[in-house]
Amino acid sequence: MAKIQYDGPILEIDKLSISFFTRLREIPAVMDFSVKVAPGEAVGLVGESGCGKSTVALGVMRDLGKNGHIVGGSIKFKGRDMASMSADELRDIRGNEIAMIYQEPMASLNPAMKIGRQLMEVPMIHEGVSEEEAYNRALEVVTDVKLPDPARMLSSYPHQLSGGQQQRIVIAMALMSKPSLLILDEPTTALDVTVEAAVVELVKDLGKKYGTSMLFISHNLGLVLETCDRICVMYSGEAVERGDIKEVFNNMQHPYTQALFRSIPLPGADKNARPLVAIPGNFPLPHERPKGCNFGPRCDYFEEGRCDQGFVPMAAADETGSHETRCLKFTEIDWKAPLIAAETKTKGEIGEVVLSMQNLKKYYEVAANALFGGGEKRVVKANETLSFEARESETLAIVGESGCGKSTFAKVLMGLETATDGQILLDGQGIGNTPIEKRDTKTVADVQMVFQNPFDTLNPSMTVGRQIIRALEIFDIGNSDAERRERMLKLLDLVKLPRAFADRMPRQLSGGQKQRVGIARAFAGDARIVVADEPVSALDVSVQAAVTDLLMEIQREHKTTLLFISHDLSIVRYLSDRVMVMYLGHVVELGTTDEVFSPPYHPYTEALLSAVPIADTSIEKQHIVLEGDIPSAMNPPSGCPFQTRCRWKSEVPGGLCDSEIPPVKDMGNGHQIKCHLSNEILKKMDPVIKIAAE
Amino acid sequence: MEPLTWFGAYAGFFGSFLAVFATLAVLAGLCSMLLALTDSSPRGSFSLFNGIAVVTLLLVGIGYIYNALSPSLSGGMELAALGKILLGLLALGVFAAMLGVFMKTFFDNPAETMGSLFALMLKLIGLTAVAWLGYTLLFAGAGFRDTLASMDPAALPTGEELAQQKRIATMQGRGILASIFMRFLPVWIALGLLFALSMAYKRKLGLYGKLFDNAIGIFGFFLVMFWVFTALFNGLFDMIATHGPLDQLSGMKNKVPGTPLRDISEGAYPFYLLGGDNLARDVFSRMVTGSVIVVMIAPLATLFAFMVGITLGLPAGYFSGPALRKGSLGMIATGVVFGLATLAALVWGGLANFLMLAVILGMLFVLMFRASLDTVLSFLANLILAFPVILLFYLLVTPEIVETGLPQYMAIVLFIFPIVFAGVLISSRFQTDPGKNRFWLMVVLIPMAVLYAVTINAPDSQINLLGPLDFFNPAPGVLVVFVSVVFVNSPTVFRIVRGLALDIHSRDYVAAAQTRGEGPWYIMLWEILPNARGPLIVDFCLRIGYTTILLGTLGFFGLGLPPESPDWGSTINEGRKLLSIYAHPALPPAFALLTLVLGLNLLADGLREESLKD
Repeated sequence: MAKIQYDGPILEIDKLSISFFTRLREIPAVMDFSVKVAPGEAVGLVGESGCGKSTVALGVMRDLGKNGHIVGGSIKFKGRDMASMSADELRDIRGNEIAMIYQEPMASLNPAMKIGRQLMEVPMIHEGVSEEEAYNRALEVVTDVKLPDPARMLSSYPHQLSGGQQQRIVIAMALMSKPSLLILDEPTTALDVTVEAAVVELVKDLGKKYGTSMLFISHNLGLVLETCDRICVMYSGEAVERGDIKEVFNNMQHPYTQALFRSIPLPGADKNARPLVAIPGNFPLPHERPKGCNFGPRCDYFEEGRCDQGFVPMAAADETGSHETRCLKFTEIDWKAPLIAAETKTKGEIGEVVLSMQNLKKYYEVAANALFGGGEKRVVKANETLSFEARESETLAIVGESGCGKSTFAKVLMGLETATDGQILLDGQGIGNTPIEKRDTKTVADVQMVFQNPFDTLNPSMTVGRQIIRALEIFDIGNSDAERRERMLKLLDLVKLPRAFADRMPRQLSGGQKQRVGIARAFAGDARIVVADEPVSALDVSVQAAVTDLLMEIQREHKTTLLFISHDLSIVRYLSDRVMVMYLGHVVELGTTDEVFSPPYHPYTEALLSAVPIADTSIEKQHIVLEGDIPSAMNPPSGCPFQTRCRWKSEVPGGLCDSEIPPVKDMGNGHQIKCHLSNEILKKMDPVIKIAAE
Repeated sequence: MEPLTWFGAYAGFFGSFLAVFATLAVLAGLCSMLLALTDSSPRGSFSLFNGIAVVTLLLVGIGYIYNALSPSLSGGMELAALGKILLGLLALGVFAAMLGVFMKTFFDNPAETMGSLFALMLKLIGLTAVAWLGYTLLFAGAGFRDTLASMDPAALPTGEELAQQKRIATMQGRGILASIFMRFLPVWIALGLLFALSMAYKRKLGLYGKLFDNAIGIFGFFLVMFWVFTALFNGLFDMIATHGPLDQLSGMKNKVPGTPLRDISEGAYPFYLLGGDNLARDVFSRMVTGSVIVVMIAPLATLFAFMVGITLGLPAGYFSGPALRKGSLGMIATGVVFGLATLAALVWGGLANFLMLAVILGMLFVLMFRASLDTVLSFLANLILAFPVILLFYLLVTPEIVETGLPQYMAIVLFIFPIVFAGVLISSRFQTDPGKNRFWLMVVLIPMAVLYAVTINAPDSQINLLGPLDFFNPAPGVLVVFVSVVFVNSPTVFRIVRGLALDIHSRDYVAAAQTRGEGPWYIMLWEILPNARGPLIVDFCLRIGYTTILLGTLGFFGLGLPPESPDWGSTINEGRKLLSIYAHPALPPAFALLTLVLGLNLLADGLREESLKD
């Protein structure tokens, strides 16, 4: 199949409208959407979930399913209108000229087929090349995506690879036919931060090498800044702002873009002095969009009688017309006006030590044969000598990637597992070896948890009120049903939900609202220690800010100790007092937020900081990409757990990193680093994030 | 007296329409099928299999019409006639193929055109059928009026005789089908009411209401409710059936459908609507009465199987780690139960039974310290599933085995599960409020325990402890069938529940319940089970269908229920023996079984589809 030769823009979408038809009504998913992708250019598509960005991608692929239809506008690929193409022509273009990379790598690979076969299929189907040539090409591409031992990779099955490796294979597959356009739909959302950084780096390099144009769909502004040349911000099915990436980031011309930036924690934001500003209200449902500007009801600059009068067209925001905005008032708004903080909140006084961990260890034994007990037993060291203290109304952030042992630690703290060794002291009483059924009600109510996935945190078949009341019953609060109901309504007030929600089912709530109910439930028994396991990572940016603020506010009121588990360093920097960095069950660094975020770093912290994408053009970041994946906890490396990926390893004399677990070094002020590097070298480290001089 | 015809007095007029439409439908169907075959475009509206199914259906239909229209053949169709029909169809096929090729020059997509023509014909056939039914029901008595007018007024019989004659004449006017339709009148009314109410309030009825958005689901529900109402009206009010299921009337042996009774006693129904079987019993009444047995046993047995499967499957999916720990409460409880069972075997079952049970339970007990509950229970479930079902049934219902009381012992074990289930359900919910807990436990458990006791207790058997207090005994054979069906079905349910529990176990709301210190049974029954209900409801519907078939199979083999029982399986078996001579006694129960199971499957499909939406 020969490629089409064409010099103009690869993809031109003009006034595209896509609707889904259900039995009840037509649901417009995308309206009046235009974008152009030039050869070799990367265009970012940013917006919250439900704004229609994935629908655009599916529309380009003509894969809208049974009830999705393009109701207006055109999509031109290399100058040819895709609507006029036959099914056969479309099939040739898909995978050959346009390739797509999806969010979930495991779901995009056929689990029953070897990697090599899957890769070879692409050129064999589209170009009819011989098996041998296809194999050679697969080998070449797998080498290009920087996978170790390509020949072995080709002969393995998808489940034998890690998530990062799988996503690389998916990228390799997309590149097999050297497509002109690559559509990436949240390609790194399912990956860990350091892996994400490596994959993004790879995509950028390959884009340059192959000259591929890219349509990069993401909700992460920082990621888009790092990868794309141009950006298109979407809101509720419409493009609201479009332009050069630097131009849009530095000189935004639409209230939604501005609100979006104000709701993400950038370096310099502070939970007390400069809190995040959440966007008020909720994302409108597709069939309940307001008249006029879609963002109108949530906009600070809303003007009645003007913004709600009818269709708002895209308008050029600069002379060349490359920067456009869908706002009627953009010339009148003073975009440079500084954000006026609603109120400066005073930080809660940090009190006594409430929780203290001493040399906590948690090992799991995995037997090979369950029924007859034979086979060798392997020990998974999930937590290795964890020691720290947490004080009243303090936020301690626990940072680390998947598999670092943070969830195990939470389980031990909650009493779902008992510690193998070491102590957990709650108010001086050891609870590390007390499973939850043996703990008294008070202890159970004191230590509670907020979970990560809002769609999973509430029982889908019980009303919201009933779930909170059940927690109250279990914690022995209130003497009668009426009393408990009253208290439940108060808890709903506490998390700023209307009282009417008590009788709703969880599926009637949005993600952020569910998370609020989860928080209310955790605070049902006046919890003193709350473990928040990535409470906002599954939420949209604008909702994240609101939920984070709520947590902070409750903490200030209740003097709660918050153990905030997260991999998102931006939000950690914004809200935590102290930070603990974990890697493969070890605490590698522990200190106050300022100490951890500035040199000296543990090498892993340094890489982690560098990996986090920051949506601020004035930030200069040192570029550190970690090689490889996190080792398996079943089979940890000898010596220092991080030695397999550490870039400072050569600075340690005598191969100490390979043989010995490093000691904990106190850098003063309780700032601990677990590393063999000498103090001199640690002190020489440069800060990873620098705010460039304006 | 004239026998009833299938279509009544007005069949001739409507029959000719039907014949024309049916011929056209066959032609169009064949055409579109052949066209879709030759032109492999995906737009061809008829697939090969659809086409074949349609043709087969029409074949049967034509056979019936042919039967009905030719008065010389009363009931059975000659094989030669079938051959002629087949030949005719072949000729039609050749013609259709030629027509198809010819049509390609005229139509863009002849397959689709023919497909829509076919659909139109089907609709016309349906309309004609409705028109025929309406006309027949309205004017069935008209013939009698003419006869009455032509009769000599002086020789008019008495009023009672006249009424009787009028009744018979009306029925003759209606024919068999319309008469059957009229017999089911209460069912139609009930169905109409149910559907009208459900449709009106469907937005407020949750999943049940959503079922009415789904054509397949509606049809399935219709079929199921048809039989449920039939069973209700027949079982409670004795309404639908025309004769008693065991009544034998002289001269009615193997008589074809529509045969009048020889001498009609006062108020008796004057015809055997679907003929008589080889013991001169009414096939129609037996079919209707058989529905009572099926509709009662199948759902109840399935429910019990679910109780067993759920009560065992939830802990199997929930608990990991060894089933028993040394010194734990579970160890003591299991030890006591096992010990009592072996002791009971020693007292009542003799030494051999005692030794066997002791060895099996002893091994199981030791195993449970090493393996997880899941491993042990799944192993047992696999053991049951690996055993041939029919063989197991033969074993269970053999009189010698029944005499040893084995089915009753099994009932003791299997019937305890609903009580355990209800008890745990209540006590885990009200664990924080002992007063309420005691109240609800008493309200629910005492009646259940009494029912349990009287059900497993039977006079003149191994277990007869209650004596005169035993106020309820299931019909002979029912308990055995019930126990067997539950025993065979529960391992499959167990596996489904276990899988669902394993899946839901990893959800955050389960972790949330654990972190607030909920007990394991609360989590299993109130956090996991309600969220597994979707697949379970669907499986429940499907499983009632399987159970119905299983009951049929059992009846067919003459196992369990007494031989004169009118249940569908037994009657099919009875009819089977003379199938080549008299087909009519076997077909109605077979058709009834088919529609009920089909309805349950379609209902399950509809439920599954609708529960996946939203």
